[in-house]
Amino acid sequence: MIDDDIAFAGRDRCAVAGIGQTEFSRDSGRSVLSLAVEASRKALADAGLDVSDVDGIVRCEQDTVTPYSLAAALGASNLAYWADTGPGGVAPCMMMGLAMGAVLSGQAKTVLAFRSLNGRSEARLGSGDQRTAGQRVGGFGTYDEFYLPYGLISAGQTFALMARRHMIEYGTTAEHMGAVALACRAAANRTPHAQMGSRAMTMDDYLASRMISSPLRLFDYCLESDGACAVVITSAERARDLPRHPVLIRAVAGGAPPDLRPGMMFPVTTREDMTDLGGRRAADALWRRAGVGPSEVDIAQLYDCFTVSVILQLEAFGFCGRGEGGPFVASGAIRHDGSLPINTGGGHLSEGYVHGMNHIVQAVRQLRGEADMQIPDAELCLCTGGPLPVGSSVLFRRA
Amino acid sequence: MLIPNTTDRDTGGFFAAAAEGRLVYRACDDCGAALHPPTACCPHCGGENTSWHDAQGTGTLHSWTTIHQSVHPEYTAPYTLVLVTLDDTPEVRLMGRIDGEPELEPGMTMQVWFETVADGVVLPQWRPA
Repeated sequence: MIDDDIAFAGRDRCAVAGIGQTEFSRDSGRSVLSLAVEASRKALADAGLDVSDVDGIVRCEQDTVTPYSLAAALGASNLAYWADTGPGGVAPCMMMGLAMGAVLSGQAKTVLAFRSLNGRSEARLGSGDQRTAGQRVGGFGTYDEFYLPYGLISAGQTFALMARRHMIEYGTTAEHMGAVALACRAAANRTPHAQMGSRAMTMDDYLASRMISSPLRLFDYCLESDGACAVVITSAERARDLPRHPVLIRAVAGGAPPDLRPGMMFPVTTREDMTDLGGRRAADALWRRAGVGPSEVDIAQLYDCFTVSVILQLEAFGFCGRGEGGPFVASGAIRHDGSLPINTGGGHLSEGYVHGMNHIVQAVRQLRGEADMQIPDAELCLCTGGPLPVGSSVLFRRA
Repeated sequence: MLIPNTTDRDTGGFFAAAAEGRLVYRACDDCGAALHPPTACCPHCGGENTSWHDAQGTGTLHSWTTIHQSVHPEYTAPYTLVLVTLDDTPEVRLMGRIDGEPELEPGMTMQVWFETVADGVVLPQWRPA
């Protein structure tokens, strides 16, 4: 055990009381607002609560659905607290912190946290910036003027530069990244609702997939998806009186890397050590606040926008040493029968990309014992948030 | 082409120098730290006095990626993005673009050149020395 962080008053005092999700697809045929309503209604029904109980809504700043629109569409007229967090996939873990803060400070009793996107049929996240030729780009603190004019457009290209650097420094290989893709695919193959649920993948399939932005191949990329997820957070005390077995929020923590640079995603490439993540600092705080260390974690839902981000986060959160992420994943440790099963619903790579929120839902399923690919006797599940430019994390515990 | 905003208050000096064929970086006048991406205040000493300095224009290749699938109509695959760490100011790492799939090695020496992308707008670019 690591020393307690006495400044963190939230340990085990809040819980996820309900979860909900829509179908994950390539084309929902519906608005993001209607997706958010469906996921929220399901989460409330799961929690045994009524829409009139909702007094708080938190969201990702990139969501086009605002808390007020969702409240209006749900008929949640008791809305009294709302907040946005981010950036992007960092948001879901930070949402757990916002919800906890609202509940523990008395600003809300029942907080909905959601993410809704038509990430395939409407706003493809992998497309990056799509402004037209001749248009001025960057400035105003974005620092995009140093990158977009060169043709650095997307997150995949940025992670490709990080992956190459990790290969140069530590000898990480394509097969290492393939091991992450295969672990997620194998989990999806045991998860009926996963978008890749019925499609197997071998290492040969992985290596044969077309190069997109070297060294990253098609199967290093997550699935741009349409879909929504929502969870209901309330006090642990109240959750005990609700129908579902509560899953406690043991601790939350965000973190910035030691060499943080201004701007959003692209300036990560200017860090002296661009494969070190803010997640390392988040992990330091998380383990301290939780009073446990990485060796006590049963399952991890690691933010897998790309395979390489899993390797980097395994290092950042202390499951292996710096540079050892490749051999760690190749050892089989991350498979369902390994020492640290990851992304047990298939993750962003093979279940669907709901920008980190489906990882939260999957963590709750595992700790309730109702996942499709259930890991036996799981008590602690880590979730991490999008690794750039800062990192986030939440540790859930079975009550 | 996507044309850079060249008049940002913190970064415009980089592009003003490039238009004159000079590669510059911003640095703190008080502690000397190079500040990239450029800022008007120094996170190392808290200083608020900064100025632009000439760099010698050589660097080492830190990482690269070859784009095989275009994601923007203005940038047609294949092309290669290179990250170059300045030899005289290793705190500064800059991007360049090379057409096609060049043979590259980590740590190789790179040389700056200047590409005019619009009237009065110039990007520093990099190629193997």
